[in-house]
Amino acid sequence: MAVVTEAAAPTTPTQVRPRRTWVGVVIGALLVVLSVVSLFVGASSDVSIAGIFDAESNASFLLAASRIPRTIALLLVGASLGIAGLIMQMLVRNKFVEPSTTGVTEFGALGMLGALVFWPGMPVLPRMFIVAACALFGTWVFLRIIRNVPVRHLVLVPLVGIMLGGVVGAVTAFFAYRLDLLQALMQWQQGSFATVMRGRYEFVWIAALMVVIAWIAADRFSVIGLGEDFATNLGLNYRRIVGVGMVIIAVITACVLVTAGILPFLGLVVPNVVSIIIGDNVRRSIPWVAGLGAVFVLACDIIARLVRFPYEIPLSVVVGVIGAGLFLWLLLRRRGHAH
Amino acid sequence: MPTIRPLSALSLIAASTLVLAGCSSSAADGDASAESGAAGDATQTEETVSFTFDAAVGDPDDPDFEEKTVEVPKNPENVVIFDMASLDTWGNLGGEAAGAPLDSVPDYLSDYLVDDAINAGTLFEADLLAIEAIQPDLIIIAGRSSTQYEALTQITPNVIDLTANGPFEDQLERSVTLFGEILGQEDAAAEALAELQGGIAEAREATEGIGTGLAIMTAGDSITALAPSSGDFSGPVLRGGLVYDVFGVEPVHADIRSATHGEPVSFEFLLEQDPDYLFVLDRNAVAGSDGDAMADVVLDNEIVHQTTAWKNDQIVSLDPAAWYIVFGGIETTQIMIDDILSITS
Repeated sequence: MAVVTEAAAPTTPTQVRPRRTWVGVVIGALLVVLSVVSLFVGASSDVSIAGIFDAESNASFLLAASRIPRTIALLLVGASLGIAGLIMQMLVRNKFVEPSTTGVTEFGALGMLGALVFWPGMPVLPRMFIVAACALFGTWVFLRIIRNVPVRHLVLVPLVGIMLGGVVGAVTAFFAYRLDLLQALMQWQQGSFATVMRGRYEFVWIAALMVVIAWIAADRFSVIGLGEDFATNLGLNYRRIVGVGMVIIAVITACVLVTAGILPFLGLVVPNVVSIIIGDNVRRSIPWVAGLGAVFVLACDIIARLVRFPYEIPLSVVVGVIGAGLFLWLLLRRRGHAH
Repeated sequence: MPTIRPLSALSLIAASTLVLAGCSSSAADGDASAESGAAGDATQTEETVSFTFDAAVGDPDDPDFEEKTVEVPKNPENVVIFDMASLDTWGNLGGEAAGAPLDSVPDYLSDYLVDDAINAGTLFEADLLAIEAIQPDLIIIAGRSSTQYEALTQITPNVIDLTANGPFEDQLERSVTLFGEILGQEDAAAEALAELQGGIAEAREATEGIGTGLAIMTAGDSITALAPSSGDFSGPVLRGGLVYDVFGVEPVHADIRSATHGEPVSFEFLLEQDPDYLFVLDRNAVAGSDGDAMADVVLDNEIVHQTTAWKNDQIVSLDPAAWYIVFGGIETTQIMIDDILSITS
């Protein structure tokens, strides 16, 4: 392990180190502030600081049953989606991949449709297993295809992924259309935390577990990011680490899909922003990616709750708009810096 | 519309092929059916019913509306119906449809189709070739299919659009009366209409003084609040809106915008607004799966348990096919009345 850390360290330019401190402070402060705001923003006006101490009001109940679970779910979903993107980028050695640009999300959605068709009232746990299995299969298919693509151009890899996702998405849409489930499927896929509450968000803790595993295996993913030959030369079991990464990605995708729906761009934008600030060392960037992912989703959900108060707009719309903007900024910025 | 021409040519070939096929099996009928367009109509057009409506013409995405008058032949043989509410009324007055968007016909209306009914397309789009092949005497469209008007008039001039452009009750009266005349069932139509009007009045009485209500739709595990129609009824009649518009339920929140699929809301919203009655439309169940359980599962949670509607067992489930797909027609309106009257039992 010591060898690994030393080998990975030089990839991070040392001059960026001073910037890390204030970035950490800003992300930490935003996390706290947005979490508190998230607790006190919502359809019910009962939940306020004064309300908590008022025995008559529903404040404590709503806080425990709805606001705290929603905030925790947002934190964990944001953090884990960022990590899923980061791990995927290491496995594929490409900055522009994440579950939704590699067909993994679409495979998960196909699994969800299957669950809807064959067992409409299915409890969440088996449904999540089916979605995770399909997402895992999707990751495997994508990696197989990428292996056999002769030119690994930076843009070609996500393009292949998006095409794969398009094909799988079309199959899903076809069956959903034939079975008159198109609107139901869209409802399931649309990312939203509006109905998250105590008792129906707990699966995101599994995603949090995946984040912990990713953290433990962080250095190995750094090395995987340097390529198969390099990793094998350093004595790593390349296939096993890739397998662990695939499971992490698939399980996180499945947890988020069954809890909230599809949140596009997040896994792409967050690790890239972190990479610009502190470089590509996975162990060092994991807390930043997790923190920034959580901040991003929290902020978007608060916007989604406030735009049409007391109604909500779908979170995926907000995430999509802001995420797409950030993505464009990343692309243009890269060109400006002649990367 | 120049794009129709190659299509018409194609369908002409299709139609004549069919006629030729018909000839081989029964040569005697061959001549008659080949000329059915001219001779057949001449014998039947003695009696017609005149009907005037606003038709959507021009660009389907941004249509203009023109007043059209159609002389509808009485007792037409081949009728294609795109509008489920019309199919309901048509069937209940003794008519049968030779074609409809088959995938969208709810089970309880399938009896009103002839045995070999053709699939006329979807609720939104017409399969012109299939329709032209059966040479319909009358095509009925409304709402979702109203933009198909111009395309369908290439097949027969007898196309009527029953799109709702007024209060639900007027709309119901208009179609029931019209179909009664066309089918020569004026008495039955008047009777059915009187019964429905009585039922609506009874349901209105039942909702008087029950307090506030909120119509919601569950889809997946999310919920949306449904809106009353805008005051002037210029927009389309909205699904859950009928709870307020027709049956007089007092909306719990005044500013629910008229979005066709409602406004996404949280469980907290239900508790904060706390309507006395919740009217639940289960979008999951429209798909035909055993969906009634779905809405129950979505709403069975500790936050909803705190609401007045749950505590007093005042959650009314609305028949999904009736309220979501059909909303209108003789039998469907009766189902809707029964749903509302269930609050008294």
